[in-house]
Amino acid sequence: MILSEKHQMLRKLYRQFAQDEFTDELLDRLEETGEFDRAIHDKMAGCGFMGVKIPVEYGGSGGDSLAYAMMVEEFARVSPVLSIYANTSNSLGGGPLMFCGTEEQKRKYLVPCARGEKIIVFALTEPGAGSDAGGTLTTAVQDGDCFVLNGRKTFISGAPFADYAIVYAKTDPAQKGSKGISMFIVDMKLPGVSCGKPEHKMGIIGYPTSDIILEDVRVHKSDLLGPLHKGFATAMKTLDGGRLGMAAQALGIAQGCLDESVKYAKERKQFGKPIAKFQAVSFMIADMATEIEAARQLIYSTAVRKDAGDPDSSKLCAMCKLYAAEMCNRAAYKAVQIHGGYGYIKEYKVERFYRDARITSIYEGTSQVQQMVISGSLLK
Amino acid sequence: MNILVCVKQVPDDYAEIRLGGDGKPATAGAGTVNNAFDTYALELAVRFCEAHGGSVTAVTIGPEGAQSGLKNLLAVGAGKAYLCAASGEADEGGTAALLARAVELCQEREGAAYDLILCGKESTDEISGQVGARLAERLGAAFVSGVVEAEPSGDGLKARQETEEGGVVYEMSLPAVLTIAKPAYDPRYPNIKTKMAARKAVIPVLELGAAEPALVSCLGYSEPPKREAGVVIQEKEAAEAVKKAVVMLAEANVL
Repeated sequence: MILSEKHQMLRKLYRQFAQDEFTDELLDRLEETGEFDRAIHDKMAGCGFMGVKIPVEYGGSGGDSLAYAMMVEEFARVSPVLSIYANTSNSLGGGPLMFCGTEEQKRKYLVPCARGEKIIVFALTEPGAGSDAGGTLTTAVQDGDCFVLNGRKTFISGAPFADYAIVYAKTDPAQKGSKGISMFIVDMKLPGVSCGKPEHKMGIIGYPTSDIILEDVRVHKSDLLGPLHKGFATAMKTLDGGRLGMAAQALGIAQGCLDESVKYAKERKQFGKPIAKFQAVSFMIADMATEIEAARQLIYSTAVRKDAGDPDSSKLCAMCKLYAAEMCNRAAYKAVQIHGGYGYIKEYKVERFYRDARITSIYEGTSQVQQMVISGSLLK
Repeated sequence: MNILVCVKQVPDDYAEIRLGGDGKPATAGAGTVNNAFDTYALELAVRFCEAHGGSVTAVTIGPEGAQSGLKNLLAVGAGKAYLCAASGEADEGGTAALLARAVELCQEREGAAYDLILCGKESTDEISGQVGARLAERLGAAFVSGVVEAEPSGDGLKARQETEEGGVVYEMSLPAVLTIAKPAYDPRYPNIKTKMAARKAVIPVLELGAAEPALVSCLGYSEPPKREAGVVIQEKEAAEAVKKAVVMLAEANVL
């Protein structure tokens, strides 16, 4: 796909920011402490990245899905975890508000998120409801002007430092499966909201993930997001956009793996010549580059088609996520292989990429869930 | 305060530049960027105006392609930009004369005079560090070089010059020309909105005419001498390697 001048310019902006600001020192600190870095978040917010896809009237930059995907790609190419920093407000966090928030809700919640002043997270997964989100056990019972929420959400990225969470809860127990579920905007400071201990993760270290525990949390009815009992449809729509972003993240990680592999293969000498001169290595690089380009074209064209209202976009987003995540894992494997023993050592970037790559085929729908979405739309 | 910042387009600092077949630096493939010191000058100007009020205008003498450099400056706080076209090869004196003419034309367009004109302390390509001083001479304005801080002082200006030993603070009347060294901060990033807005900006082009005949001409360039290959000591034991290194240093009469 040939990029417009606008998108080329944006790519340059993202790339420059990542190169200059995602320093080795910062990346090592994130890895060592595992903690959220407010300073880089604020810097990203200052550039408008937190609201790249959020409309201008709600404090965002008003970019399209392609502008968003390219941002996640360019950031992940240098730091997969920092690509998540700028991702959430544009996808899972801000998405439901953009789709079905009232004007008042958008003013109150979306605007500060777009500006990066507040952080919003997406809380769908539960201990017993992962791929089967319809198995949600968290309940919300209306009591006067409030809904009373009880339950436990798990693996919630960003929960420990979030200001708000979009929480999915069963509001009509009589309806089965994914029906009778509603969305709520939950202020994390409300009485009865607490977080579990941050998980010790394999990768994406530096963006804490924990459980959210809801015990008799009284959420005002004005914070019901979208129509009552019909939250699941919005969750799925949000996840489509999220999948595109996560596909872009996988693409960026794969590109980072390729960048490092090319550099290393030219430097590293064995048997008297750079290992790049050996076909076994150069062909791995050729395969990586080809798959990366294929994923890029799929993601970019899907971004454009999604914005144009293509009825196939749900299937296409799933294809992007499936292909890019699996491709990313293959690329990370090859990158470590090319680096040999050094690739297994933390000082080398590919060690981190390898661990970060692993989640891409798991979160926001496993590869198998993507296959279900794709096959489901084909075999209706 | 009305501030004009003079910005030069230079080859990208990150690119490795070698001498071409004609003996001149082969800059064609390098891509161009705004001279780093000029971007510090712009940031200083923007901060100055944010704190004390005023306007910042950027001006570049260069080809049509220099528009993109000016648009980058519009995205990081310059309120206006002018591109100036000139013909002929200029030496530093000639460049200063062209800039003095550019200042005059910009002032005519604006209908107001600039109180302060900033230049980077040098450009990262030719590094002559002369143009700011020569421009001040042409304009008959006050001049301080290597400034890292500036603030208003009565009807004039106070500026802190950075020196190897520390710093010197000067007070001066306006108009003044300052050349700017690296301050304690970095230039800001554009944000997506300012970048998009700048993309659509129409930058007026002013004709400066021909450069004055050069008084100084460059006879030729030479590349820095290539580093000679070093000696690699490949002993398995560290103690052996140290012993060998000491012997070699002794033989070279270093010890």
